Amino acid sequence: MSETSHGADRRRLSGHSIVRSRHFRYLLAAAVIGLLPLVFTTSYWRTNLILCAINVMLAIGLDFVLGYAGQLNLGQSAFYGIGAYASTLLVTKLGIPFWAAFALGTVMAGAAGALLSLFAVRLRGHYLAIASLGFAVITYQILLNWISLTQGPLGIYAIPPPPPIALPWLPRIPFTNLANFFYLTASLALIVYFLLDQMLRSPIGETLAAIREDEISAASLGINAPKWKAFAFAASSAVAGAAGCFYAPFVGTLVPDAFFVTESFAILAMVIVGGMGTLIGPAFGAIFITLLPEVLRSIGDLRLILYGASVTLVVLFMPGGIMQAWRLVRQRLFFFAEESAT
Amino acid sequence: MTRFRIFAYSGVLICGIVALAATPSSAADHIIKIGALLPISGPGSYFGAQDKQGIELALDQANKAGVGGYTFEVQYEDSSCAPLPATQAAKRLIDEYKPDVLIGEECSDATLAVMPIIEQAKIPLINAGSSSIKVTDPGNPWTFRIMPNEVMQGVDIATNAYKRLNARTAVLLHENTNAGIGNANVFADTFTKLGGKVLTDIGFGRDVNDFTAIATRIAGMGDVDVIPTYTLEGQGLKITQALMQAGVVKGGGGKAIQLGTIWLPFGFEQKAGNAAIGYIRIVQFDPTDQRPLVRDFIQAFKAKFNADPTHLNAHAYDQIMLIADVVKRGGKDPQSIRDKLAETKDVAGTTGSVEFDKSNQNVKMDTVHYMETKPDLSWVSLKWN
Repeated sequence: MSETSHGADRRRLSGHSIVRSRHFRYLLAAAVIGLLPLVFTTSYWRTNLILCAINVMLAIGLDFVLGYAGQLNLGQSAFYGIGAYASTLLVTKLGIPFWAAFALGTVMAGAAGALLSLFAVRLRGHYLAIASLGFAVITYQILLNWISLTQGPLGIYAIPPPPPIALPWLPRIPFTNLANFFYLTASLALIVYFLLDQMLRSPIGETLAAIREDEISAASLGINAPKWKAFAFAASSAVAGAAGCFYAPFVGTLVPDAFFVTESFAILAMVIVGGMGTLIGPAFGAIFITLLPEVLRSIGDLRLILYGASVTLVVLFMPGGIMQAWRLVRQRLFFFAEESAT
Repeated sequence: MTRFRIFAYSGVLICGIVALAATPSSAADHIIKIGALLPISGPGSYFGAQDKQGIELALDQANKAGVGGYTFEVQYEDSSCAPLPATQAAKRLIDEYKPDVLIGEECSDATLAVMPIIEQAKIPLINAGSSSIKVTDPGNPWTFRIMPNEVMQGVDIATNAYKRLNARTAVLLHENTNAGIGNANVFADTFTKLGGKVLTDIGFGRDVNDFTAIATRIAGMGDVDVIPTYTLEGQGLKITQALMQAGVVKGGGGKAIQLGTIWLPFGFEQKAGNAAIGYIRIVQFDPTDQRPLVRDFIQAFKAKFNADPTHLNAHAYDQIMLIADVVKRGGKDPQSIRDKLAETKDVAGTTGSVEFDKSNQNVKMDTVHYMETKPDLSWVSLKWN
């Protein structure tokens, strides 16, 4: 190889490593979050952006327990609902400040996940899926029928947005403004992503992967699988609960139907379409699944057919989801770049 | 062909279709833009399909000569009978279509979720399908309802059950939604005050598909005179058939009469078969009404769609015709349309007449029509109002 091509390789590698650097990616994500409301200025599109941020949290939360710990949890809608109802009721019935209610709602959803894990850690595969689905059904029925507490199907209306916050040297930030609300939810999603990413890069990630691949072998290495599975359940549920805490003040209305078991399948679709077992994949999957039906609104009645067809196409031809598609595109681009270089 | 290529071509095809469909139509002056929030998908989609027919007929007629120099244009959005999709649909309409007036939704939960958005945008909303009292009480200055609310319907049907049908016992069946619970509660209050007895009140989610256990339970309750039922059509059919199989209602050899409100469309009898015999329900539209307005509507509808109009067709038609009337009276933008709507008095429609009170609720009871299903599955208008 000539000296020139070595130099080009080094330059390419150094540029490549910057792009691959985690710090660069977080900075890029923060920049994109900062720019999005400036590009999408209508309340409709800002609403969709907020929904994307909430769904990203739900998807990466599920991916943590499903993609990394290998536990097929179909109860995510329940934890989402517990977070939403707990925080809203704490604010509306007890007058607790929103941020305290947010913390408590998140903890309560996490505790519910830990509670489910007491039974769930003994189960695997389909049995775990059915048990967690049952938990989602029970939670939905409680939200629907405990009318004295939750208002059940009568719903809770006119839920206020989070109160304005005052940061040093900055004017008060009101969350009646959809752009600010997006910054809030997207920042939280980014923080959650960062925390999960840190965990997965620590020995915790390896432990969960070992349990996912072979629980018996993991046990032979001294890994307490039930304890770590319970941890994964609790962490995943807490993330879903945190997302729920923002759902209620975002929509302004809370009815149990928003947390019906089909919501669990929608979240599962986000993870699978994005690419299970990668954090970034489900984040893109959530954005894709959230925005696609909205983008397709312009075609009217054919919208849902095309939506279904698109999701089926992804699963059929890209079983690894968006991340597989991305890897394929990257391979092709790299191949073409190599071809043109030689 | 490689997977990559198939995937890439499919993506390009879908993007192409979306781009073509998204190309905006050319704008014209003197157009009243109407945004329609309709449940086009989900369990309430039959509302949307029938509403569209009524709207299209009304548009044909109103646009033939125009009204005061204005023509009308409708943009539909699928609001799916649920709060979140309804708010997204409303925001999209308001931001991108910029309507002068909105119509819809059919389901109370969805309407209630949309109301703060239209109030903030200051665009009037005409509702013809949501019965929850909360839509107009407390309501807001921008929401108008042309249909009788749950209290008007519930009080009337309970009074008629007690006084005209001599019913003394009732079992309430309702879906667990705002409207379902609200309607059932009003019936129970009125019926009990009159001296009747509610034997039990059974609520269920929209996910319930088998009503055999509920019907068997009712069969074991002894004498049940009336069974007020508040559900969408899909569950309504299953309930009615389960009640027949359990021998509770007339169609199954029992004596109980099912009572219903405006939730069920015409044609329900044909789908339910003998189970519907004796069913008495409120409809918003009486096709035997001899007013020329109604006769003309039926004739035009048959000519366009080769079918008899339902009350959903009629109330959607009335919404557009009310907007046309408001424009005739000087409404031309959201604010003036709202103001003229509030002044509406005795405007005749196919479902009855319209006159709003201070809460923007239509106070005219001639929109409440009763019909009874006969043994040959035809029905008769009971002329109780």
